[in-house]
Amino acid sequence: MKKVSVEKEEQLLRYLDGELDAQTCQSLEEEIQQSELLNTRLEELRLVQSVLVQKARLETPSKNFTQKVMSGLDRNPVASFFTPRKGLLLFFGSLIASGIALALLSAGVFDGPTAPLVLDSPLTTDWLKTPSLSIPFNGKILVNGILILNLALAFVVLDRTVLKPLFQKRASVI
Amino acid sequence: MITQQEEYSLIDKILAGDQQPYSILVDGYKSYAFTIAFKILGNRPEAEEAAQDAFIKAFRYLKTFNRTAKFSTWLYRIVFNTAISYKRKSKPAFQRIENTIVEYSDKADKQMERDDKQHYVGKAMESLNEADRLAIQLFYIKEFSLEEVAETMGQNMNTLKVRIHRARLRLGDELKKLLKEEALTL
Repeated sequence: MKKVSVEKEEQLLRYLDGELDAQTCQSLEEEIQQSELLNTRLEELRLVQSVLVQKARLETPSKNFTQKVMSGLDRNPVASFFTPRKGLLLFFGSLIASGIALALLSAGVFDGPTAPLVLDSPLTTDWLKTPSLSIPFNGKILVNGILILNLALAFVVLDRTVLKPLFQKRASVI
Repeated sequence: MITQQEEYSLIDKILAGDQQPYSILVDGYKSYAFTIAFKILGNRPEAEEAAQDAFIKAFRYLKTFNRTAKFSTWLYRIVFNTAISYKRKSKPAFQRIENTIVEYSDKADKQMERDDKQHYVGKAMESLNEADRLAIQLFYIKEFSLEEVAETMGQNMNTLKVRIHRARLRLGDELKKLLKEEALTL
């Protein structure tokens, strides 16, 4: 199926916008009269144009629009606690804490044998004479858990307070 | 319409601590701001909220307006960004069938024909991407200049012109397709 060339389509648009000089306008009109294809394309574009012009108008907001804006001027903006600066500080703080924990881990501070936590108080030993309650406790596992949690938290903070607002700001410009 | 000099003197008064002159600026630009927000959001209550929010933001950041551009374009840019962020946050509204008002009206043939055309062009518009659709809608509103539309959308004038031409051609193609499909179903 034959198609109107891009250059000709551009010319048709400029013709509809009234941007062509008299001579070009006349020669194009003659061309349109002789070509069914050009004529059909012009009518399609004219239809689009007429509907867009009909629909193009300024919208009117509600009557109390100005009043609502004026009453909102004194409203304090809801400031987010996690500003990008605070977020970055928190992120680096978490990284430093994780670094310290890692250093302690690699120094073997938590490598000792599993030690039971003995809940031994004078009350239980002296008066009740009940057997001491002990919970097996492994410091290394606990520190590893805290470390992973801390790192995950640090990256969530970085994402929510720094990266997300940054990308949103960039993306707002289409 | 307020002249640029009047605008600057109003801005000076506002920056000096008098809020009242801001209502003159709001009155002068509310329709333009609301139209931009409405074209982006396609929903009147939300567009109104976004436009009001944009005016409040503009008031708060008025001291950063450096007067190298027109106040209107600076404001439209804020409206544009605010409406875009509202669009990201909003979910498509569900309309219950019982709330849809179906009116019978004895429209004249001409009106029906016009509605049909609008319907098909409206459907064809759905095939455009958001930026093209907004550009073409604002371009046809005679109150906005091409320069203003370009600055509002943060685009170069030539890029915008190309975008609008491309969108018009695309609309023509889509319209042809839709009318062909319609003819086949008859």
